[in-house]
This record gives sequence, C-alpha cells and structure tokens, in this order.
Amino acid sequence: MAEARAEGRRPSNAFGRLLVGIARALGLFGGFLTFSMAIIVTVSVAGRYFFSAPIQGDYDIVGIIAGCAAFSFLPICQLKRSNVLVDVFTSRAPVRARAALDAFANLCFLLIAVFATWRLIYGGIDMYRHSEVIAAFNFYRWYTFPFDIACMLVLIVAIAYTLAQDASDIWTGRPRESTAVGGGE
Amino acid sequence: MSDLAIGTTGFVVLLVLIGLRMPIGVGMLMVGALGYALIAGTTALLSFFKTQMYWQFTSFDFSVLPLFLLMGNFAARAGITSALFRAVNSWMGHFRGGIAMAAIGGCAVFGTVTGSSLACAAMMGQVALPELRRYNYAPGFATGALAAGGTLGILIPPSIILIIYAIMVEGNIVALFQAAFAPGIIAMLGYMAAIAIVVRVDPKAGPAGPHASAAERWAATRDVWPILVIFGIVMGGIYSGAFTPTEGAGIGALGTFLMAVTYGGMRWDGFIQALSETAVTAGMIYLILLGANVFNAFLGFSQLPTWGAELFQHSGLPPYAVLLGMILLYLVLGCIMDSLSMILITIPIFWPIVAALDFGLQPDDLKLWYGIIILMVAEIGLITPPVGLNVFVINSLAKDVPMFETFRGVAPFLMSDFVRVTLVVLLPPLSLWLPYALK
Repeated sequence: MAEARAEGRRPSNAFGRLLVGIARALGLFGGFLTFSMAIIVTVSVAGRYFFSAPIQGDYDIVGIIAGCAAFSFLPICQLKRSNVLVDVFTSRAPVRARAALDAFANLCFLLIAVFATWRLIYGGIDMYRHSEVIAAFNFYRWYTFPFDIACMLVLIVAIAYTLAQDASDIWTGRPRESTAVGGGE
Repeated sequence: MSDLAIGTTGFVVLLVLIGLRMPIGVGMLMVGALGYALIAGTTALLSFFKTQMYWQFTSFDFSVLPLFLLMGNFAARAGITSALFRAVNSWMGHFRGGIAMAAIGGCAVFGTVTGSSLACAAMMGQVALPELRRYNYAPGFATGALAAGGTLGILIPPSIILIIYAIMVEGNIVALFQAAFAPGIIAMLGYMAAIAIVVRVDPKAGPAGPHASAAERWAATRDVWPILVIFGIVMGGIYSGAFTPTEGAGIGALGTFLMAVTYGGMRWDGFIQALSETAVTAGMIYLILLGANVFNAFLGFSQLPTWGAELFQHSGLPPYAVLLGMILLYLVLGCIMDSLSMILITIPIFWPIVAALDFGLQPDDLKLWYGIIILMVAEIGLITPPVGLNVFVINSLAKDVPMFETFRGVAPFLMSDFVRVTLVVLLPPLSLWLPYALK
C-alpha cells in the first residue's frame, strides 16, 4: 500500500526548527488562501444570483490564489514526508537499506526541484517581458512569480534537509517511526 | 531506440522505482522529464518546464481540489457524525444488525460532505464503535462494517478521485458526480443487505438494540438538518448546474466552516489545524498531479497509449474480457497502492484502450460508466489485505480486535462490492440515468 513517509522527526537543531517553522507558516498561509477562495466564490455566486452582480473576473482571481496556495503547500508536505509511496515491498528491508532508497528518491527530487525552479524563474521573466495581463482587473501574471519561486526555494532547502536526515539514518541505522496517511482517500 | 520503446521502458522504470519506495509524484516527474527530453529534445523540455507548473496550479478547475479538502476537514470538526448516527439508529437500531446498518447509513450521509474514506471511517468509528460494543456485536463484524462503511465517503460525491479522473480524461465533473449518485446509494443498500444476511446466519453477531419512540426519532432526525442543508445547496447546486463544482466546493467549505463553529464548537486551534491538514494533503495531491502531467506528456509523445489502444482494438478480444482483465488488475494493484496513484498511473494507458473498444455506448457515456467502475474497484483496495487503509484506521480505534478478525469481518461487504461492480458493469443505465434525467 502506498504509505506516507515516516513522519519527519522533531528537528534536533535550530536550523531544522527554523525550516519547519517557515514551511508550516507557508502551508498555513496557503490554507488561509484556500479559505479566502471559499469566501470569494460564495460572495460571487451570491452576487450573481441575488444582485446580478458577480465579482468581476472571479475565476481568474480564484485561479491566481489557488496557484499561490499550491506552491505554498509543497515544503511542509515534504518535511512531514507525506508524499505517497509504496512500501509493501520494502517494509521488511533493513533500516539502512530503506534509508538509502529514501536518500536516492530525495536526491532525484532535489535535482528536479532545482531544475523546475530554474525554469520557473525564466517563465516569470517571459511573463514580465510579454506583459501578460489579466484584463478584468489589470493584474500582471508575473506578480505572483516571486512568491512561487520563493516557495520553490524553501522546498529545495526542505528536500536537502530530508536528504541529510536520510544520510544520517544510513550512518546510524536508527529505525524510524512510521505513520500511515492515505492518498486521495 | 524507437519512441515506443522509450515509452515502454519509461513505464517499466517508473514501476520499478515506485516498488523501491520512490514517492509516486517524484517518480513520474523524473521519468517523465527524462523521457520527454529523449523524445522531444532538451530544448522542448526546458521550455515546457518554464510555465507548466504555473499553469497547472493556476487553474480555476484545479482549485476545486483544495476547496473540497477544506470542506471535508471542517466537516470532520462539525461534530455531526454523532448526530447522524443517532438519527439513523433511532430508525433502524431495533432491527437485528440495525446498529451496524445505522453506522452504514451515517457513513453514507457523511459521504455527501466529505470526499475522504479514511475520515469517514475514522469519524463514524469513534461514534458507532462504543454502541456496537455495548450491544455485544461480534467484534470483527463491527469493525468490518465500519471499515466498509468508510468507503462510502468517496463513493458518494463529492469524490476527489472522480475529480482527478475527470481532469485526466477531460470528462465532465458534474456528470460524473451525477453518475456516481445511484451506485453510491446501491453501495449503501448493498452493505445493509450484507449485514442483514450475516445476522440471519448468525443472530448473535448483531443483536437488536432498543426501540426508539416516534418523538425520539423526530427529535434525532431534526438534529441533522445542517448537514442536509449543506448537501442540498452544494450538490443540488452542482447537479442542477446552478454553479460549477469549484463554486459548490467553496460554498460547501464555508457552510461546513459555519457548522463546525456553531455546532461542533470549533475554535481558533481547530481552524488552524483544519487549514494545516488541508495544506499537507493538498500538497501531496498537487505533487502527484504535477508528476502525472509531465509523465503523460512524455507518454503522449511516445505513442504508447495509441499503440496499446490499437493493439487491443485489433486483437479480437471481446471488450468485456478486456474490461474484466483491467478490473482484476486494479484489484491486485489496490492491494499495494493507494487508489489515487493507481488511477493516475493506469488511466493514461487504459482509457485510450477502453475508448477504442465497442461497448455500445456513446463516447461521453463511456467516460462516465468507466469512471464509476474504476472508482468502485479502486476503493475495494481500501478494505483488502495486506494493507487496507480503512481497516488500519478502524483497528487503531479498536486495538483489542485482531486485524485478522476485521479482515474476516470485511468479507461479506466485499461480496456486496463484487455484486455491485457486476451490476454496474452489466447495467450501464444504473450510472447513466441521472446525468440523462438532469441534462
């Protein structure tokens, strides 16, 4: 069964605590953004039906907010090791072997995240150069890119941090606690 | 190496990596990106990655996901499960097996505000398990019923899995929600029938509870009005086309928020918790979706899906035999993988095959019918050994009941699942009548 990664241990150093604090705050901010989407959508639907006056460009506003929220969710998900994986075949493997596999996976993730962030920066520059704008409320699309990129940078640090945890697990061979969390169930 | 060979190799490599503990989203991203570069070239990959993440996340249609997750997380804090259970129990509790039936009924109603089976099983388990014990229900039967009842959380719309299926096959979310409605009701009735049969064979497994007076019944039923109002507005609005699924999810999230504050006593801490849980689950789903998007772009370039579809189209195999093969494969996969990942990995290959075969259905109807079948089959994995997640959840609430007992208790409900899947496969109108009636 796909199972969440062993939940991230309580960070033992100041850097880890700071990182978890930042990632948690980002995730919470994304949660607030989601809640604000609910309010905007409800106000817009109510406006449409009761006053024939929906919020102008409501779909675009919700899309923009949802985009920022999605980026802000990623770091805390990684630090909590909540990304679904199949551990049926490896659950009886020695701790060191599992930690090595986790380290390999996190190394791959790190490379991809660095690559994606590098490209995202150029994507933002393109948006700026072409002045892509949402006409309904005169919103330039590049406005949200600095925030998105910042989230990706936190994600990169988060992946590197979990990778270091895996490396130390290979070294010490200490067993990890595991907490099951489902996928889309 | 031909594009097709690259595609096939990529698919196999992905499966191996997943078997070796690589998070599914990461595996799809990595294999997808490498394969994309091999077939389409590095320049194409560099330009693809500039904005694909931005556009995928910044989509009004995708925003339905976090909103439904938020709605479910507020609903879990609304304290409504206990009222639901009491209400259904006042009507059915005096039958043999009635308390277990009440738990199933409660799960079904709770399923209308949550898209999560685990939450449904956990919430109803906390409320119903003590009652089931008080009336001396057989332990494995009680836990099995609750584990199975939990799957109603996702079978009955809203359902995260259906939304993701709809995005993948470019189907209509509204029509899919409509199509899932009748099979969801049948699932509830089927589980109740399974209970009735079990207690007929072994009356001691589920003794009757006390009779409730008419006044008690109405009082208990009145208590569940908030959830019925939310269901009426959200699903009524979505089904009738008054608003889009995203709008319905937003209104539902606000509705369950109000319910959690007034009815469930949710305060600042609970609110923060609900937001944080939404963040972690949504982050996980977004990463898998991102991976699926990149991986599917690569598969599309490799022509593997088209090749597979043509292979089956010209193989002369009867369409229903192919469908049966897929269902059996899903049952096996469901034992080792969660349903979301399973659907994201298989649908890009399976859907073109199904679409190329002749089941005597219109293409749009075929999308609905196949989606409902996949949803039901995928959910069976939640209650089968070795790692049915619903069973784990219920067992963490009833630690004295051996896991083995619960899996045995699940057996009658699995039978009910198989009967229902057969019915839905053989009778497409079961899924299709509501979308047609509401068109």
